[in-house]
Amino acid sequence: MKRRLRVDIVACDGVGICAHLASGLVRVDSWGYPIIEAHQLTRTTGRQARAAVQACPRRALFIESDGVMGGP
Amino acid sequence: MRTAVNAYPRTADQFESTMLPRPVHYFGTGGALTELAPHTLREHRQHFGARPACVGAAAGKLIDRIEQARLTGRGGAHLPSVVKWRAVRAAAGTRGSIVVANGAEGEPDSRKDVALLELRPHLILDGLVCAAEALGAREAIVWLHENAHVSRAALSRALTERTSLGEPAEPAIRIAFGPDAYLSGESGAVVRALSGGPALPAFRTVPSAVKGVDGSPTLVHNVETLARVAQVARGAACASELVTVCIDETRIVLDVPTDASLHTVVSHAIGAHPSAVLVGGWGGSWRAWPDLAKITIAEPSLRAHGLSLGAGVLHALPRGVCGLARAAEIARYLAAQSAQQCGPCQFGLTAVADRMTELARGGRRTRRDAARITAWADEIRGRGACHHPDGAVRMVVSALEVFADDVAAHGRGRCLARRGRS
Repeated sequence: MKRRLRVDIVACDGVGICAHLASGLVRVDSWGYPIIEAHQLTRTTGRQARAAVQACPRRALFIESDGVMGGP
Repeated sequence: MRTAVNAYPRTADQFESTMLPRPVHYFGTGGALTELAPHTLREHRQHFGARPACVGAAAGKLIDRIEQARLTGRGGAHLPSVVKWRAVRAAAGTRGSIVVANGAEGEPDSRKDVALLELRPHLILDGLVCAAEALGAREAIVWLHENAHVSRAALSRALTERTSLGEPAEPAIRIAFGPDAYLSGESGAVVRALSGGPALPAFRTVPSAVKGVDGSPTLVHNVETLARVAQVARGAACASELVTVCIDETRIVLDVPTDASLHTVVSHAIGAHPSAVLVGGWGGSWRAWPDLAKITIAEPSLRAHGLSLGAGVLHALPRGVCGLARAAEIARYLAAQSAQQCGPCQFGLTAVADRMTELARGGRRTRRDAARITAWADEIRGRGACHHPDGAVRMVVSALEVFADDVAAHGRGRCLARRGRS
């Protein structure tokens, strides 16, 4: 099953915790908002992604499985 | 310059099926100036014939015809309409669906939807009713800007006529309004507003064709697309496009055959050759005038040249006007029209517009400004909940490419466009 980290950019406030917790997946743009690599999650990045999803104070991150929205 | 405009040359056959046989002129924010009169229901039926019923077996036939005619949406992406229709039909089941005619024309230069609403309201309503019947809709809605008084009056008149002159079997049609903002015509914003939320684009993972207004499968089509549905239902082909040619304060709406070149369309409408054209609307792409001779307004031809008809706007840049200054002006407008929901759009577009304004003023930093803008554009592209930021950066980046010589000239404190005039 293909799984990806995604951001609800409307909910996102550019807090930036995700870029620290999932540095292999997330970098921030010139204004502090996350740019997420479109790669499928591996075992390592999957762990990072879950940590980022749980830590986001805006609840803006989610893991998508084959186009279906899912929780952490 | 730009005074007499003849009817676009056509064969008798094309004339019969055309939506607007003559151009419609608009000046500034004023109303339509045209010899065309709004069609009454009787005239409409005489001209186009009666609306075919689209229930039962006819529903599937209409959807097949939409596919064969290669009808596309007018939301900027020109997606095949049949994809949405099939998705709505499949998702509707017994719940029923909702069909929406989107007449909230956000593009400041566009007048084609207003012209259609005002002059051919029955064609739009026919298309909406066909869609409602074919997709088993429980609600049919026309979505307008709240200050679109002329369109609203024309539609109300048309709806009254339909009830009194015997279209009794038709589903009820409701008119709904959104604020007069650029983005209230964005399809996600329409769905959100009709569900009781604000008229702002939404972040969505499921398309509105599956889960739209109040969770029901929803078909949102531009009013022109629905007018084409009304023609397709009658067996006509989609061989023309409505475009708005804009120069200064003048806007001319034309129904042009798809094999017409951009050169022909623009020079016919304004009676002059501009120096460049912004193709597709304010979120479109600039092209120098000589590059447009071989491109027709058919979407495949435009796509092959990296263009799209988008909102159907051809914005002509008069000779002697600086393209960089015009692009900066448009960028500032688009930045101000951001819904302020997504960071990359809210902050990014403002940054791009400010830097573009400095670049247009000229000075030694011009080349660095251009590189900075291009880098920001790469960061912004594809990152909004809607495509507003994509269009804005596309317009700016294409300006830097098309007016590249002028970027260099601005760096030396000169301007090629203004020099050309003197």
